[in-house]
Formats: sequence, C-alpha cells, structure tokens
Amino acid sequence: MPKKDEKKKFTTVSIPSPLFKKVEERIKGTGFTSVSSYVAYVLREIIAEEEEEEEPFSEEDKERVKERLRALGYID
Amino acid sequence: MGKRVLVIGLDCAPPELLFDLFADELPNIKRMLDNGVYARMESSHPPITIPAWMVMATSKNAGKLGVYGFRHRKPGTYNKMWLANSHSIREKTVWDILGEHNKKVVVVGVPPAYPPKPVNGSQISCFMTPGADKDYTYPQRLKKEIERLIGEYLLDIVFRTDEKDKLLQQLYDMTKQHFTVLKYLAKTKPWHFFMFVEIGVDRVHHAFWKFFDKKHHLYEPDNKYEDVILNYYRLVDREIGKLLELTDDNTSVILVSDHGAKSMKGAFCINQWLAENGYLTFKKIPPQGSSLAEADIDWAKTQVWGWGGYHARIFFNVKGREPQGVIEPENYESFREQVISDLKVIQGPNSEKWNTKVYTPEEIYPDGIGDYPDLTVYFDDLNWRSAGTLGYDSYYLSENDKGPDDAVHSQKGVFIYYDPKRDAGGERIKDLSLLDFAPTVLKVIGVPTPKDMEGKIIKEVT
Repeated sequence: MPKKDEKKKFTTVSIPSPLFKKVEERIKGTGFTSVSSYVAYVLREIIAEEEEEEEPFSEEDKERVKERLRALGYID
Repeated sequence: MGKRVLVIGLDCAPPELLFDLFADELPNIKRMLDNGVYARMESSHPPITIPAWMVMATSKNAGKLGVYGFRHRKPGTYNKMWLANSHSIREKTVWDILGEHNKKVVVVGVPPAYPPKPVNGSQISCFMTPGADKDYTYPQRLKKEIERLIGEYLLDIVFRTDEKDKLLQQLYDMTKQHFTVLKYLAKTKPWHFFMFVEIGVDRVHHAFWKFFDKKHHLYEPDNKYEDVILNYYRLVDREIGKLLELTDDNTSVILVSDHGAKSMKGAFCINQWLAENGYLTFKKIPPQGSSLAEADIDWAKTQVWGWGGYHARIFFNVKGREPQGVIEPENYESFREQVISDLKVIQGPNSEKWNTKVYTPEEIYPDGIGDYPDLTVYFDDLNWRSAGTLGYDSYYLSENDKGPDDAVHSQKGVFIYYDPKRDAGGERIKDLSLLDFAPTVLKVIGVPTPKDMEGKIIKEVT
C-alpha cells in the first residue's frame, strides 16, 4: 500500500529562500512557469543522467583503472 | 531500541586461517570467536571481490545484479569491455535501506564504490577509484577532512612485484592509514551501521602465500617472508581492537570476508588450449605473452575464446550475436555441451585428474541480466587460475602470466558475529551464504527485511 503522500501527484520539498529567489530570477523569460517546474526539470535531468550512465569513467580514468586492474591480474 | 552494527570486511580472509591456524595469535578476533557465533560463508559465482561484496550488501545473486566481475564484455564485441562501478549496482544495498529508515551509515571501501553515491551519512570509495585526485567521498567535503587527517588517501597497492620489502612497507602504510581514517569516522560521525572493507588482506595473500604455505609448490623452508601473512593479520587484529574500543555495548560486530584463499598450483592458458583443440584460430602465431587483443585472431574461423582471471570466462562466437559469428544459434546448446565435456576432462600437467567445474548461465544466474559469459569455468576447483595470454610452449604455467601471484580464491569466506552483551559460547554453526548477510544486519538493527532479498536471517545471531 503506498503511503498517503505517495498517492498525491505532487508533494512539497523545502529549499532555502535565497535559492528560491535565484531560481525565480533565472527562469524569467524562459518557458518555465514556476520555480517548482524548473526544479522538477533539473532533478529529472540529474536522475536520468545517473541512471543512463553505464560507465562514469572518462577515457583517461578508465585507462588508469584498467592499468591498475592489469597490475592486479584481473585483466589480461 | 535496535542495535548498532559494525562490519569488519577483510577481503579474501579464509576460514582456515581465521578460525584455526591464526586464531590463537589474534586476541581480538579470538574474543569474537570465543563469545560469538561463526561459520563459513559460501561466496558468489564467481568468488571474486566484484561481485561478492555487492552480493553480500544487496542479498541478490550476481545474475540479478548483472555484475560478473571487474570487467564485462561489451555485447557484440570481441575485446571491448566496460568496468564495474557504483552505478552498475541498481539493487538497494543494506545501507541504502537503512538510510531510508533514517539510520545513519558510514561505508568505506566496499567495492565497487566509485563514483561515491549519496548515502545517509558518509562514504569513501574503493580501490576501483581512478586516483586520489578524484572525488572519492560522499559528501564531497569529506575528502578535505580525510586529507587534513592523513594526507593523500591510499586506495591500493600494486602487489605483483618482486620488490617484496617495498611492497610490505606500502601494505603496512596503507592499512595503518585506513584504520586511522576508520577510527576518525567512528568517533566523529553519527552511525547505526558502519562497514569497511580492507583490501590489504587480499593483497598480502596474493603477494606472500608461497612463503607461508608449506603445501605451495614454490614454498622454500625458512625463508625471510615466512611470517609476513601472520604478522599482517596481527596488525589487522590490533587495529580491530582499537576500533572496538570506540564502540559501545550496544554495538554488535560482524566480521566477514567475500571469499577465501588457497595456494595457486599454476595458471592454465585457456586460449592456447582452445587454439590447439580447434576452437580458436590465429592468422599469425602470436608471440609469447600476447593478450587476446594483441593476437591476430581469425574470428571468422573461431568458435570460442576465453578470458583469464582466478576463473575463466568463456565466450562463444555466435552468428547474429557476434560481428563474425560462426556458431548457428540452433546449434548453440549442442555445441555448448561439447565444449563443457571437453573442458571437464582437461588434466593437469602430469596427467593428474582435475576437478574442473563448468557452469552455464542458467545454472548459476537463473535470472541473470546484462553481460554474462557463455560459460564460467573453475579449473581444478580454482586451484589453477586461468591465463588469457598466449604463445607459450605449454598450456601450464607454474607461475602467473602477469607478474608474481601465489594465491587463488576459494569458495568459502568467513562470518563471525559478536554481541558484547551476550555470550553465545563460540558456537560454530553450519555454512552460510553471502546472501544471508544483509537480512541479518537489518534484523539486528531492527529494520524490516525486504521480501526480495534472497538470503535468510541467521537465526543464531538474533
């Protein structure tokens, strides 16, 4: 059974007022009609990025890890 | 009120050393054994650091996690790979679940932990971090605290070297530094659950096993490194003692390892064997020590290739699945049966019988996802490691192909549970599974166990 809050389509989160004001400034003249819709957009982007990213290593980092794994014998 | 739990993770610690051979030399671990309950713990398939720690943390088998080792073959390629990382773990860990129940956690070095994911508390990444210059902590600012305390954090050492004295110094430096960090975190951070994995234990086994194990084929009596492994365990035990002094009576302690260790008998060159048995074809004979990627392979005439490691991963070149596939999909199963029976009868260098285990994905990963191999092979029950390199005079190498390594992995790790408030009499209980760890931790702390966890609550501890 979902909790009562989860049944509602929206819920409230708190952010510091100065941050709220900054976001308000930023979305002026954009397609975002409210701070909430902007914040939801940004959060979705971040979450999607995390979920899709199969390998969070840059090419250089990947080589560094591979080199270490080679030295440890986990890679031929 | 539920208890707090401190988890001491010793990568690769085998029951034979901790429960028997070394127990009397390790007063703190001995106290836990004598007053707690303990058992051997069946590791994952394969019994390797990755996926084993995450099988433990999630109570899901490697197939469910879709994580089968440090590296994975990119589908539809012969030699491209992706590396396991924290994002590869999609299932909830025990600390994720505890965090959802507002329990504070500290998690250090439980692989794969890079990049560090948010937790309800603090996290330090593992040896799979590209370097100490990267962000290896959550929250990010914790890195500054760590660096103020100890300078550059030592993620790992490179153990495959003949400079043993230097290696030993690095090992001690790393482990002492890790415990300095652990004691700092235990004192300064709030926690209900505190878990760390010390990778140094695995490294000391691989680097020094032949000097200590009289049954190792390269053992020499009265060598200067004879007691290195025991002395290292003494260090770890002393440090565990100091850490335990920082915990209260309401803290239960669990000591675990992800797999065991045993003497390496040698390395078996899987690709060379495949080539000589007609499964793999070269365009040009590869020079000695070539990796598969370096060798000139005639993929259109190759049916099977393998990867090295403590176990072998075997891949089939299937039409429609691999770029130059040759095995007809409808023949896949009969072909697989043939390869399995060929692998199972491989004998040792002196025609001795081997107990080679060959697993299909259906057997060990019934709900497997992601990039598992076509076969998982333990040569002579892991006594022989698998070498992926090529071009030798024999399939059998008495030493590892990629620098000195004396130990291989074994299927049983350790589990010790110690509650300072309850004398459990040092009972040795029947073998457990890595999968039993997470549900038991949740039970001890007093958080409901999710139904989809595969392990059971260990009743002797609760």
